Amino acid sequence: MNTIDTLPSSNAYAAPRAPWARMFLVLSGLLSVYTAYRIYQHTTAFTVGLDYFSEDFQKYWMTLLYIQLPVLFALGAGIVGWIWHTRDRNLDRLAPAEELRRYFVLLGQLMVFGIIAYLTASPVTEADAAWHQVTVRDTDFTPTHIMLFYFGIPVFITGAVVAFVYARTRLPQFAKRLSLPFALVVAGPVMIMPNVGFNEWGHTFFYAEELFAAPIHWGFVLLGWATFAAGGLLVQILSRIVELTKVAGSHPVIEAMQGPEGKQVTRRNESVKAEPAVAA
Amino acid sequence: MKVDKMPLPPAQTELRATEVGLTSAAEQHRAYVQADLLIIPLIVMLFMGIFSFHFALLVGDWDYWVDWRDRRWWPLVTPLALTVLPGVFGYLLWEKLRLPLGASLTILCLTLAAWISRYLNFHLFADFPMNFVWPSTYIGLGLIIDCLLLLTRSFFWTGLFGGFAFGLLVYPLNWPLLAPFQVPVELHGTMLTVADLMGYEYIRTAIPEYVRIIEESTLRTFGEAVTPLTAVFAGFLNIMNYWFWLWIGYLGSKAIWIRKIV
Ligand SMILES: [Zn+2]
Repeated sequence: MNTIDTLPSSNAYAAPRAPWARMFLVLSGLLSVYTAYRIYQHTTAFTVGLDYFSEDFQKYWMTLLYIQLPVLFALGAGIVGWIWHTRDRNLDRLAPAEELRRYFVLLGQLMVFGIIAYLTASPVTEADAAWHQVTVRDTDFTPTHIMLFYFGIPVFITGAVVAFVYARTRLPQFAKRLSLPFALVVAGPVMIMPNVGFNEWGHTFFYAEELFAAPIHWGFVLLGWATFAAGGLLVQILSRIVELTKVAGSHPVIEAMQGPEGKQVTRRNESVKAEPAVAA
Repeated sequence: MKVDKMPLPPAQTELRATEVGLTSAAEQHRAYVQADLLIIPLIVMLFMGIFSFHFALLVGDWDYWVDWRDRRWWPLVTPLALTVLPGVFGYLLWEKLRLPLGASLTILCLTLAAWISRYLNFHLFADFPMNFVWPSTYIGLGLIIDCLLLLTRSFFWTGLFGGFAFGLLVYPLNWPLLAPFQVPVELHGTMLTVADLMGYEYIRTAIPEYVRIIEESTLRTFGEAVTPLTAVFAGFLNIMNYWFWLWIGYLGSKAIWIRKIV
């Protein structure tokens, strides 16, 4: 062991563990639901899902819609409410080890959000693209729309809001100020719902065909671009993680690292530049 | 003031050591590994989702169907939409993390997402043959951008040469895959391509829209220079396109904190 390891340990801490087990539990739950939903869609869409006015459609698809919407809303509100209710009221006394652990939890939540984003934005969205090419719409409530707009997007929104509220209630730098990139990443999915309204309204009379790259769909692209701010969020998270993972007793490397807690960094930089050149 | 009288910065040992922190370098490594294990899948998943969504809504049918790969719109629309994520996330990965991966990684993610979706949705779900709905290949374009960035270390030169090549090479890169579908066949006395014949066999709701777009002016009748002309035009446009999205990437990777929204 070198000297660094034998320093007085009161201010030193071990690297906390990300909540791997819990994360895989959440992920496997999500993946099972998406897979089961997809199998259901695959087997019933072209058999009982073609005609909104048929009894079968009401039974197999509208019932599903009426169940999933309140369940998703209750689940989302419940999780967010619980995170808010159990918020940390003593953020000013947060130990660095615990703060670092919470950053890992946040990254885990963002990873789950990323997987939901992929599932919703790619396979579930393009199921709708393929569907529109072989059927003519008679309703907004098609089997692909029920899965995309009223299941995928709400789950997507919930994933984003959960991570946002977690950071807001558990992490000092996100509680003190508002992260603009994070707010944008959350606003994108949320704003898709109003755009769905516009999209379906437009499809009822002036755009019956489904050219997927048509201007009527460009609002969705714009909202997808909100995730371009994910880079800024990553910079905010990583700068703080770098500060929290310094080794106690080591000498900080002098670098022009511009963290959000920029003060500490500049203080060290200043100690280099502090003594002004004495004029001779 | 004379330069040689400037005091030197104090030696490292005189600086104050970090008082609070991890116990050892090994612990630090453990923390870094965990952060990597969380961030790398997050980034890959986000790239797959965003790129696939973005590409579906801006290029969409031009990439979904082999009969949509015409000579004028497809090689123009495709590079312009395809450059967006390599620009935005290329800036983030190169400028913040010094990884020359932006273009190849994002395009690789798009390709992976596209193959999964074509197989699950277009082939299994909607019953089109894979031959009709295979995604084009673009990974080579990403490699060109990233190699240029690595060699020049300059967004300016990467945009000038890489952005241009990106627009120029969409068609030639895909030609080996596309050529068999451009072979002429005769149907009831009319000459058409294999791709068009497949298109007539597999009627889709977007066909009227497509016919409106593609039968404009001389799109079907102009001589053989159409494709090279489109490619060069797309190349020139794409230089500015790449620079523009780099700038968006610069804005997107800013760590902006605000007091409140309203
Ligand atoms: Zn739709």
